[in-house]
Amino acid sequence: MSAYLLRRLGIALAVAFTVSLISFFLLHLSGDLATAIAGPEATAEQIEVVRHQHGLDRPLATQYVEWIGQLLRLDLGQSFFFQESVRDLIASRLPITLTLGAIALLVALLIAIPLGVLAAVRRDTWIDRLALTLATFGQAMPSFWFALVLIVVFAVTLKWLPVSGNTSWQHFILPAIALGYYATPSLMRLTRAGMLDVLGADYIRTARAKGLSPARVLFKHALRNALIPVVALAAVEFGFMLGGSVVIEAVFSLQGIGQLAWDAIARNDFPVVQAIVLLIALIYIVLTLVADLLNALLDPRIRVR
Amino acid sequence: MGLKGFACGIAFSLFLAQGQAFAGKANDTLVYASDTEPENVSPYHNDAREGVILAHLAWDTLIYRDPQTGEYRPMLATGWQQVDPLTLDFDLRQGVTFHNGDPFTADDVVFTFNYVASPEGKVVTQQNVNWIKSAEKLGEYKVRLHLKQPFPAALEYLANPLPIYPGKYFQKVGLAGFAQKPVGTGPYRIVAVTSGQGVTLERNPDYFKDSPQGQPRIGHIQFRVIPDAETRLAELMTGGIDWAWRVAPDQAEQLKAAPNLTVESGASMRIGFLSMDAQGASSPDSPFAKAEVRQAVNYAINRQAIASQLMGGGSQPLQVACYPEQFGCDAKAVPGYPYDPAKAKALLKAAGYPNGFSTEIFAYRDRDVVEALIGDLRAVGIDAKLRYLKYAALRDQQRAGKVPMAFLAWGSFSIADASAATGVYFKGNADDVAKDPQVIDWLKVADTAMDPAVRKDNYRKALQRIAAQAYWAPVFNYSINYAFTSDLAFQPYPDELPRFALAHWN
Amino acid sequence: MTVANPFVLDDYLPPRPTLGRQLRRWFGHRGFALGAVLLVVIVFAALAASWLAPHDPYAQDVMQRMKPPVWMAKGTWAHPLGTDKLGRDYLSRLLYGARISLFIGLAAALISGAIGTLLGVLAGYYGGKVDALVSYLVTTRLALPVVMVALAAASLVGGSLQVVVILLGCLLWDRFAVVVRAAVQQIRDAEYVAAAQALGCSPWRVIVGEILPNVLGALIVVITLEMAHAILLEATLSFLGVGVQPPLPSWGLMIAEGKPYMFFSPWVIAIPGIALMLLVLAINLVGDGIRDLAAPSGRN
Repeated sequence: MSAYLLRRLGIALAVAFTVSLISFFLLHLSGDLATAIAGPEATAEQIEVVRHQHGLDRPLATQYVEWIGQLLRLDLGQSFFFQESVRDLIASRLPITLTLGAIALLVALLIAIPLGVLAAVRRDTWIDRLALTLATFGQAMPSFWFALVLIVVFAVTLKWLPVSGNTSWQHFILPAIALGYYATPSLMRLTRAGMLDVLGADYIRTARAKGLSPARVLFKHALRNALIPVVALAAVEFGFMLGGSVVIEAVFSLQGIGQLAWDAIARNDFPVVQAIVLLIALIYIVLTLVADLLNALLDPRIRVR
Repeated sequence: MGLKGFACGIAFSLFLAQGQAFAGKANDTLVYASDTEPENVSPYHNDAREGVILAHLAWDTLIYRDPQTGEYRPMLATGWQQVDPLTLDFDLRQGVTFHNGDPFTADDVVFTFNYVASPEGKVVTQQNVNWIKSAEKLGEYKVRLHLKQPFPAALEYLANPLPIYPGKYFQKVGLAGFAQKPVGTGPYRIVAVTSGQGVTLERNPDYFKDSPQGQPRIGHIQFRVIPDAETRLAELMTGGIDWAWRVAPDQAEQLKAAPNLTVESGASMRIGFLSMDAQGASSPDSPFAKAEVRQAVNYAINRQAIASQLMGGGSQPLQVACYPEQFGCDAKAVPGYPYDPAKAKALLKAAGYPNGFSTEIFAYRDRDVVEALIGDLRAVGIDAKLRYLKYAALRDQQRAGKVPMAFLAWGSFSIADASAATGVYFKGNADDVAKDPQVIDWLKVADTAMDPAVRKDNYRKALQRIAAQAYWAPVFNYSINYAFTSDLAFQPYPDELPRFALAHWN
Repeated sequence: MTVANPFVLDDYLPPRPTLGRQLRRWFGHRGFALGAVLLVVIVFAALAASWLAPHDPYAQDVMQRMKPPVWMAKGTWAHPLGTDKLGRDYLSRLLYGARISLFIGLAAALISGAIGTLLGVLAGYYGGKVDALVSYLVTTRLALPVVMVALAAASLVGGSLQVVVILLGCLLWDRFAVVVRAAVQQIRDAEYVAAAQALGCSPWRVIVGEILPNVLGALIVVITLEMAHAILLEATLSFLGVGVQPPLPSWGLMIAEGKPYMFFSPWVIAIPGIALMLLVLAINLVGDGIRDLAAPSGRN
C-alpha cells in the first residue's frame, strides 16, 4: 500500500510541476510583459527599467525557478489591475467559489443517488428508463443556457429566489443547480452500476437469506458499498466544477474566482489568470489523489497492479 | 458521518451569512448597480463614470455647478477671483471636516492641486489637470492657483472632476492606502470598498451645513458592480436593487409597464463615434490612412436608423466631434455626411479598394450598435471583424497603436465645454489617433483664449477640418434610460451624472 | 494505470454482458433511432441551408427588428421564427448556425481524435515507460481547467472559427487516449496480432493494419462524445464573446445576442438553446446507440 501511495504521490507532484510550467508559459507567450506592466505611455527607457526591476531581462528558466520559489512561499505576485496582491484577491474570492461548488455537488448527489438507487432496484422498469432519459437530456443542455432559463423562470417570473449576489444561502441555489446538474448523469450511472454489482454479490444474498428486511439490506449493506466509488467520482467532479464555475459565475454575477479569472482575462491581468489556473489544477490534483486512494482502499487489486 | 457533517457545516455557515442589508426604502438603503468597477476608487485614478458618481458622493469640489440653472455657486470655496488670466484666488470655507476628522484647510487644497498637477500624481485623465501649474497657500483659508496658460473653462473643471483630498491623510497612507480607505468631505462617507463587488457608503452626519446641494437624506447607499446587463435588470425587477441605468431602449420600453418601477429617459452629453487609425499605426498599409476610406465609412453608416431604432429616446444622429450643446460645439457649421452607400463604394474604389477590404473593429460597449455598424460597412464592402474587449484593455491597445477602427463613447466628464471632448481626442494626447498639427494648433487657441468669439471661431475651424478629414465617424449622442423603484425620488440630468446626494424616498 | 478516475473507463469499453439485455438492447435501438433521425435532419438542414433559408442570414433591416415567430400574435410567415435585434431572419440564421456547430464539432473531434489515438496506440502497444508517459500526459491534461484555459487562450489570440477548432482539438484528446489505450492493450496479445508480428511486420504496419480497424468501434463512440463536448464548448466560448465572432450565426452567439431580450421575448434564447440541445442530444443518442449495438451482449 505504501509503495502505491508513494508512486501516486510522485505522479501528483510531477503533474503539479507540469501544470505550473504550462500556466507560467501561458503568461509569457502573451507578448512582452514589461510593456504591459509599464503601461501604454511608458517610454522605451521606462520599459527597460521595469524589465530590469522585475527581472524580466533574465533567461526564462531563471524566472520560472524564481516564480516557483515565490509560489512555495505562497507569494503569487501582484495584480496588474488591482492595487492588491494576487494572494489576497484570490483569498477574498475563493470562499464563494468553494461554497458554490460544494452546494452544486450536494445538489448533484441529492438527485443522482436516489435516482441511481431507484433505477438499480427497479431495474428495467419505467423508472429506470426515465432516469436514463433524464440523464441523456441533462447532458445535452448547455449550462449557460440552463442558467439563463433558471433566472427567467425562478428568479424573474416566479420570484422564488434571488438573481445574483452572495449574501445569503438562497443566492447560491440557482447557480448551484446550473453548475451541479451536469455532474448528475455520470454520478447517477455510477450509483446504478454500483448498486447492480453489489445487489448481485454473495453477501447481499446472504443478508437476504438471513431474513433481514429489504430496506435494511438496501441501505445498510448495499448502498454503503456502492457509494464509495461514487464519493470518489464526486471528489473529481468537484474539481471539474471549480473549473467550470467561470461560466456560471459570469451569468449570475457571483464574485468568485471564476468571475475574477474571467475579468482578469479580459483585462490582461496575467498574474491573476495563471495563479487561478494553477490553483484549480492543484485542487483537482489533490482531489484525484484522494479519489484514487479511496478506490485503492476499496479494491485491493489496484494496489498490486 | 463525514458527508452529512460536511453538508450541515455548509448549510450552517450559509445561514450565518444571512442578515445583510437588503435594498429599499424600508431599510433606508439605496442600492444602485452599474456594470463597471472603477480600477481605483480615488477619483483622479480612474476614468469610469462609476468613479465620477462616487467622487460626487464622497468628495466636494471648490465650486458647485447648479445642475438646474448651470450657475456656479460656492462649495468648499466661499469666493473666487480671476486675478489675471494665469491666476485664480480662492477664499475657503471654514469649519469643514474630512470624514476622518481632519479639518479642511488651505493645505489640503494646495496639496491636492500640486499633487495632481505633478507627474507623480499619475492622474489618468490628464486633460482634467494639465492646465494647472501649481497652487500656493496665501493664508489658512486662502489659496492661489497658478495656470500654465489662460484656461477659460477653469471654473467648469473646478466644479466637476477636481475633488479636494485630505493632504495629511493621503500623504500618510499613500495612494494604495487611500484606494482602500478613501476619505473626503462629501455628503456620504465610504465605509467599505470590496473589489469585484462594490462600495458601501453611509450618510456623513457632519456634512457642512451650508452646502449648495443641501444635506443628504438617504441613510445608506450601496454601489453594486453587476457586470451583466440582464442580471441588473432581473435584480431591478425583483427588488434586489433600487436603481439601474443605461437600460437598453427595448427593455426600458417594456419596463414602463411594471407597476413599481419608474423609467426616465433623456438625451445625454455622451457621444458615440467610430475612431479610425488615420495615422496608419496599426499596419503600414492601413486603408484608414487614406481620407477617402474614412469618408467612405462616414457615408456608409446609417446614423438615423441607429439613433432612432437602436437607441431611441433623446438620441440624435451626430456629425460633429463633440456634443452640440457644449460650448464651442457648432454642429451647424459641419454639414457632415448623409447616408449614401453608393458614394461610399465610389470613394472606396477611388482609394484603390474596388472590392473593399478586411479589417478589425474594436469595441467595449453597445454590441448592438457595433453590429449594426458592421452590417452597414459590410454593405459597402468593408468586412470588419469585431474585437470586443473591456474598456481598459481597449484603451491600452489603442494607445499602443494596434487598433484600426474602434467604436468608442465619450461623456466629456459632464463638462459643458467642447474642450472636454476635442481636447482628449484631437490635441495630440495619448488618445489622439489623428495628431493633425493644424487641428492641434486651433484647439490650443480655442482652449486658452479668453474671448468667447475667438474660442468659438477656432473650435469651428478645428471641427470642420476633423469632419473634412473624417478622422472620426461620429454616430449619435446617447439617450440614457434610468429605471428605479417608484419609492425613489430621483432626477436625471443631461450631464449623465446621477446625483444620489439629492435623491430621497417618496 | 492510474489515470484520474479509472471507473470512467468502463463507460467506453466494450460493455460486459449483464442482465436484462433484451429490454436494454431494444431501448438502445429506440434511442439510436431517435438520435439518428434528429441528426440526419440537422445535417440536412445545415447542408441545404442556402436553399432552405428564406433570407440572407446576414441581411439586416433595423425597421423589421424583433418580430416574433409565426405562432405568436404578431408573427408572419415572412419570418417563420421571427427576426433578431438587427432585423435578421432568425430561421435563416439558425440554419446557417447548424453548419458552424457541426463543422466545429467534427473538426475538433477529428483533431483531438488524431492526437488522442496516436498517444493511446503508443501507450497501449509499447506499454512500460511509454505508457507511463502517456498516462502522465493525460493526467496533466485533466488537471487543466478546460473552460478557463480555452477562455484565456481564445482571448489572447482573439476568437475566431479557426482558433476555436484548433483550441478544442488540442484540449479534448484525453478520452481518446484512454479508450484507445485500453482497447489496444486488449488486442495487443490477440493471436492475429502475434501472427502479424511473427511474420515480421513493422510495428506501424501492425498498428495501422491490424489494431486500428479493431478499435474503430470504441473510437466512433468517443468521437460522438467529444463532438457533443466540442459543440457545447464552442457555444460557451461564443456566448462569452471569445469564440466565433459576429456576424457569424453561431448558436452560442445567438443566445448571447438574444440575452438582452430574454425577459420580454423569451423565444430569442429558447430557439437557439433548444436547437443546440437537440443537436447534442442527437449526437449523444447516436453514440450511446452505437455502443449498445456494437456490443453483442447489451450494456452494463
